[in-house]
Amino acid sequence: MSRELHFDTLVVGGGIAGLQTALDLADQNYQVAVIEKDATIGGKMIRLSKVFPTLDCASCITTPKMAASAHHENITLFTYCNLKSLDRDSPESVTATVTQKPRYVDPDKCIGCRQCEYGCPVYVPDEEQGNFNLRKAVHIPFSNAIPQIAVLDMENCSLCGKCARVCPTDAIDYFEQPEDFIIHAKTAVLATGFELTPIDQKPEYNGGKVQNLITSMEMERLLAPHGPYMRVIRPSDGKEPDSIAYVQCAGSRDKTLNVPYCSRVCCMYAIKQAMLLSGALPLADITIYYMDIRAFGKGYEQFYQNAKAMGIEFVKGKIAKIEQADNQYVSLRYEAQEDGGRVVEREHDLVVLSLGMVPGWTPQGVCQVSCDTDRFIKSSMPQIAPTVTDMEGVFVAGVAAGPKDIVDTIAEAGAAAMEASKYMTALGKQKAA
Amino acid sequence: MSSNKKESTSEPRVGVYICHCGGNISDHVDVEQVAENIRKIPGVVVSHTNTFMCSDPGQELIQEDIKSGKINRVVVASCAPSLHELTFRNAIKRADMNPYLYDHANIREQDSWVHHGDPATAKATTLVAAAVAKTKRLEPLDPIRVDARNHVIVIGGGMAGLRAALDLSSRGIAVSLIEKSPFLGGQAANLDKLVPTEASAGDLIKQLAQAAVEDPNIQISTCSQIVGFEGYVGNFKVTVQTHPPDADTRRQIIRGITSDKSQVGKMIPFVGYFPSAVPTSEQTRIIDTGVIVFATGFKTYTPRQGEFGFGDFPEVITLPMFIRHMAQAAANDKHLSFNGKKIRRVAMIHCVGSRQIPGIHEADENDYMNEYCSRTCCSATLRAAMEIRENFPKTQVLDFYRDIRTYGRGQEDYYDRASESNVLFFRYEPEDSPLVEKNSSGDFPLKISVKDTLTFGEEIEADVDLIILSVGMEPNPITGLVDMMKLPVGSDRFLQEVHPKLRPVELANTGILLAGTCQAPMDISETCNAAQAAAVKASALLGKGYVELDPFVAGVDLAACSGTGACVDVCPVDAVKLKPVKINGEEVERAEVNPAICTGCGVCVAECPHNAIDVKGWTLKQYEDMVDAIVAA
Amino acid sequence: MSNESNNTPDGKILILATETCAYPGANSVGQAHSSYPANTYILRVRAPVLFPETFYLDCFKKGIGGIIIMACGEECPYDGAFHALSKRLDQVFKTMKAKGLDLRRLRLTAICTVCNRAFLKEVNDMNALIQELGRPTEGEMKAA
Repeated sequence: MSRELHFDTLVVGGGIAGLQTALDLADQNYQVAVIEKDATIGGKMIRLSKVFPTLDCASCITTPKMAASAHHENITLFTYCNLKSLDRDSPESVTATVTQKPRYVDPDKCIGCRQCEYGCPVYVPDEEQGNFNLRKAVHIPFSNAIPQIAVLDMENCSLCGKCARVCPTDAIDYFEQPEDFIIHAKTAVLATGFELTPIDQKPEYNGGKVQNLITSMEMERLLAPHGPYMRVIRPSDGKEPDSIAYVQCAGSRDKTLNVPYCSRVCCMYAIKQAMLLSGALPLADITIYYMDIRAFGKGYEQFYQNAKAMGIEFVKGKIAKIEQADNQYVSLRYEAQEDGGRVVEREHDLVVLSLGMVPGWTPQGVCQVSCDTDRFIKSSMPQIAPTVTDMEGVFVAGVAAGPKDIVDTIAEAGAAAMEASKYMTALGKQKAA
Repeated sequence: MSSNKKESTSEPRVGVYICHCGGNISDHVDVEQVAENIRKIPGVVVSHTNTFMCSDPGQELIQEDIKSGKINRVVVASCAPSLHELTFRNAIKRADMNPYLYDHANIREQDSWVHHGDPATAKATTLVAAAVAKTKRLEPLDPIRVDARNHVIVIGGGMAGLRAALDLSSRGIAVSLIEKSPFLGGQAANLDKLVPTEASAGDLIKQLAQAAVEDPNIQISTCSQIVGFEGYVGNFKVTVQTHPPDADTRRQIIRGITSDKSQVGKMIPFVGYFPSAVPTSEQTRIIDTGVIVFATGFKTYTPRQGEFGFGDFPEVITLPMFIRHMAQAAANDKHLSFNGKKIRRVAMIHCVGSRQIPGIHEADENDYMNEYCSRTCCSATLRAAMEIRENFPKTQVLDFYRDIRTYGRGQEDYYDRASESNVLFFRYEPEDSPLVEKNSSGDFPLKISVKDTLTFGEEIEADVDLIILSVGMEPNPITGLVDMMKLPVGSDRFLQEVHPKLRPVELANTGILLAGTCQAPMDISETCNAAQAAAVKASALLGKGYVELDPFVAGVDLAACSGTGACVDVCPVDAVKLKPVKINGEEVERAEVNPAICTGCGVCVAECPHNAIDVKGWTLKQYEDMVDAIVAA
Repeated sequence: MSNESNNTPDGKILILATETCAYPGANSVGQAHSSYPANTYILRVRAPVLFPETFYLDCFKKGIGGIIIMACGEECPYDGAFHALSKRLDQVFKTMKAKGLDLRRLRLTAICTVCNRAFLKEVNDMNALIQELGRPTEGEMKAA
């Protein structure tokens, strides 16, 4: 028999949208379960360097909400879990089947001391650091992860037994199996976030083949204070880059890629990264190739104008082709709109693809909620109640409902919490009546 | 808390925790050296460093030392207190210690990020030493608990105000909705079809407004304004004045509607939803409320005289004027016409009154400039352009833009469709904005010229019949309310939230929240999200029936107070009163502070001749000890 | 280390920075990674109107070279506090003058949350002055 648990609301996704929703519900005294597919909560935001337009360090803004959720008496976190199914069985109840993926580390025993990690002899590329440096096969995801519990990556584990031997609490369990459990709740909020568009989806850009052509998320890691090299270097040879370029709309506004929409954040994160780079590498030339700069949020346009004033070069033109040049340089070909429209080729040390957003999860086969043509979850009242979906008592928040930045995500998370609490108040009234 | 007494009476045993901030601090400050220096200070029993004090393991370090009884005071040296002071207070609270026996040393923003090498390490030591000195003088404090009325005043009856009012009411909170005009719906009433659903703005207003009118828990006051304000979170007293619409300033059409009772309950296009008959006499009343939600909205930018020919030529109009014109044009019109003239070619100019750049654009008479993007105008403009092309294919549309910002869900589609329906795009640089002139010859009244960067800087000139200016948003002028309630306003003149991510719908004034375009330009979806986020915050604040406030208020040392009344005279908020008390059988007067009203400004502290009054948590003696520590370092 | 700084002739600068304006303003300077002299010590205050006249004089007596009060100015969140502060400082300046303390050692200024340049100018100006004057002399200190 599977374990069965009862809550008021099930929040799917422990990124900033899910955490804000959970906090806003928990502060109203609702019992909330948050399930998260990764071994840590925090989502994409905790993996960023700094955030626009305030240039606050992302960790400094995310960790308070992560810690508040982790410590809230009304919130229970379930990390390293997948949602297997979510069904509404009555107006009062949704039932979710959740799979706890094996960590191979007993979360009740692990004290986060990292002895296993220090002892493990297997090094693998660290996806949390853009694969730029190495981690161990058993490890705590990163320094500010919550919970601070190790996870063993069985695909790379050599089963040498070292971690089990050094673990002071006997927490390692090589034979752990995935385990399903059931969550019953009155409402659910989908806050399943996004993934970046794949780097290799546009053949003309040769993503994944050209050296020193990286994704914007990899650049976030290079810029992060606790990043892989603690400074910005060209990954292929460690050279300090003199010239860095951004290719805007590299995965968005492109019908050929089936991503016709604007991803809303790429202009701003490119400008933000450019500003941070000009601080880290004052002598480097930074160029942003763009179609339209979409600095539409509060304080964003001013941020863009500041970047221009700082000497960051903005070039109007859609990049047509990206190729490897000599000496590990990256060559960009484009039509220069401001230069008589001739086709120009320019080389840079390091080129960043400003990739767009695609849904991080699909409800297909899991629950009955509909998606729009853009594959994000569809809102049934997009203007006056944007978080309401076509599944009763199931709401959506953040990028799960279409690309948006952190500020808009947090507002929408509050809105989803409002809708969920309204739904539950109405249930209570019906019962009383 | 039972542990408090023990904490205040026993000798201070200070635990100091110094954060590396993953290199942010430790790359410039020798944190181990600082920890060692601090360890030598009498009273410091623990001096640790950690990579991320804000992380769970960092917080646990403190909690373990508290639980094991090692320490009874905490200093964390890390980033700015605005980021993590609360984090650590909460951590301490969870370890069952009074959270106010804590001080924060800012060694990142005010040290490692601005100084380097030995001076940075020396300064960090001094800052931490000063914090230790303060900490030793700290007393346990308890948050002030004030009863909160389960009631919210929402100011503004537009989309944000209606949305927030309905949500709050569904959560069982009584709402007073205060609207200055006779109508509900706000600026949304000036819209027709909405991007991207093509829903009618009027229908949506009607849906929300009708629900609000029918809701017994929502009291709607139109023709009303807030004229008085006092109190504090949970217990605001707001004076609302209701008055008949001013006959002189009202447009005739509005007079017509408001004097016609049969219009009640109807959505009047381009005016708003008319919820109830207008008052016939002036009336003033006081409403007690727990929370105030600002939903005061925006107004559209009015171009200056001569800006792109506005005011000089009748053929230059704003987008809202045009939207209204289109909506009211007869459905079977063959040609687009304006003022009786056939419109063969229209020019639309984006970013009028938005994205202004100092040095390029002119400031207004008050020296203000709208440097921000108004967010909604690109999509609205393209929607209007497409509507022209689809309904009147003989009318050409020229679109002059800087950047097309169709960022939202479904908006890019409008841009594509506008291109496909042969809207001609021209891109201009702000320093080479389009020039609008009277046409001296030919049968077109105006000509527009621009340096078009899409055709590589070619000078383009076109004859046009009509020019539509895509005007931006400005916050509604609410200076009276801002001054009365002392609200923070940003350099863009919109109301300024505490922090865009940490506390996005809160103003610094506890209990006053933000919803919609009084905070920044937003479209209707974003406005409703923001309003719901504000509503959920209000619901959380009022749900317990009481609100907890910071305890940093003035406190009187009755042993030292001699009842001079100096504090009473200087208190700007009337929080201190002289009260008769019996001391040794003698009837005397002593100062007494109302902690729910006291703002903790400290003006009384300096005035008291006997040092008998102090701000809790920020006492004069603490500052003196900090100065001593700074001097001694 | 502490001995070393005691022997240097430069005095220390005390900055009283308001919690809502100048203190975040100083943080904003930090976020921009702009450098300024390290002999500056910022104390976070709710409103500087808290400090009586004697506080300033005592600071000089203790050896503080200069004090900058970074207030919110007209933006002050506390009713009437800024006005009360200016009145108090008039009195402090009078006493300083009577006691022969250089009046430039105490300065009142308004710094907002993003006033980076103004902050740097105030700090650098005061530092230049302190370098020139040194810490308050024996005479000044006794008088204070």
